[in-house]
Amino acid sequence: MSLVARNKIDVTISLAADVIAAVEILPRARPPLARLFAGKPASALLKALPHLFPVCAAAQQTALLSAIEAARDEKIILATTQRRMLLVVAERISELLRGLLVGFPTPNVSAAAIRSLIRGLSMLVGGARPARGSIRREAIAQIVASLAALGMPDEDGAPRPGSPFALCIAALDEVDLRSISIAHSFLSVADDRNITERLLGDDPTFCHCPDLGGHAPETGPWARQMTRDRLWLGRSGAVARLKARIAEIRQLCDWLKSGAHIESAEPGIIESYRLGPGRGAAAIECARGRLYHAVELDPQGQISRFECLAPTEWNFHWRGPLVRNLQGAGLTTRRHQKAVRAVIESLDPCVGFTLKFRKVDDA
Amino acid sequence: MCLSVPAKISKILPDDMAIVSIDGVSLEISIALVEELDVGDNVLVHVGYALSKIDPTEAKRTLELLQELGSAGREPRS
Repeated sequence: MSLVARNKIDVTISLAADVIAAVEILPRARPPLARLFAGKPASALLKALPHLFPVCAAAQQTALLSAIEAARDEKIILATTQRRMLLVVAERISELLRGLLVGFPTPNVSAAAIRSLIRGLSMLVGGARPARGSIRREAIAQIVASLAALGMPDEDGAPRPGSPFALCIAALDEVDLRSISIAHSFLSVADDRNITERLLGDDPTFCHCPDLGGHAPETGPWARQMTRDRLWLGRSGAVARLKARIAEIRQLCDWLKSGAHIESAEPGIIESYRLGPGRGAAAIECARGRLYHAVELDPQGQISRFECLAPTEWNFHWRGPLVRNLQGAGLTTRRHQKAVRAVIESLDPCVGFTLKFRKVDDA
Repeated sequence: MCLSVPAKISKILPDDMAIVSIDGVSLEISIALVEELDVGDNVLVHVGYALSKIDPTEAKRTLELLQELGSAGREPRS
């Protein structure tokens, strides 16, 4: 189990007086998937992924399948793409919801409503084929009722007062850092080509310490919202990210309810790229952000090289979004732990981490 | 790339909590997101939360894969 124990990020905050002078991030031990699966059939890795990464199993499997198909230069029919998109989006909603529960002391109603919503999603997309007729109507009714129980915002964007969503926002607002307005950069589908080509390049550090022109952009719900709204400046606190998460749940549920058509889907949910003979890559937009897989197949069709770049590598990069959010922020003694935890969890509510503080001489 | 680990429930606690055993170590986790769990059930655990109920075969296969990954990580790079 040592690999699981080491699958945590260590964050150390250096404080000068009550200001964050430095943020040190020690990355987790990445699972050596490439070493384990090199020389094995692609199917072996495909079967293993849901066991290893149940949190984002659909995204991981779709990324690998799409990368292999691109390497083989296979064309995928529209119905298959739509089916995969449905699975990835349903998983994304479940994960966004789970992220709302993790770390928030919300009332029991939220756990029951989240379970009910996940059941509704499973009814809608969990079968061999997407649900139709009365099953579809029942699933959608369950999703709508669960969202209402959680206090899903109306058109004005504010959750119902007193609802679990409203309580989550209020609780977070109590501890959120008053961050300064800074320029941000966000990962998007426009970066795919650059990234996928480098995944199979000569730099062995790229997959665990990536960069785009020297920057480590943010990825995830808030980054998606900011990219959609073409905003590059703004306050990037935990509350802003929570609101983006809630807004995205609503938007994705609306897309499912309206028939989940490819043409009305947001751009970049599933993209694949052929990188040459026997080489392919794919990018999937999952709950935590953009996930990349790249493969190289040998002449027998077995995996000779596999690379993966997870959203965590951007969001918890040593000079990435977490550092930019915290560096220079003022803390009160009472709020040290909670405020910093809130920022970390707003970037990824499900990442395992340890947090330490140390005082430095500010003379 | 966050790994989850199979665990067996040894005690159900109030408020949607439970004690599980992971590799011989007892741990308190939340079971708020999984319905109808009982002592002896296997669950996948991720950062203190049960994600789903799994059958014993699946739990065994996942543990084997994690052990294989752990061993691959310790092998010297060629």
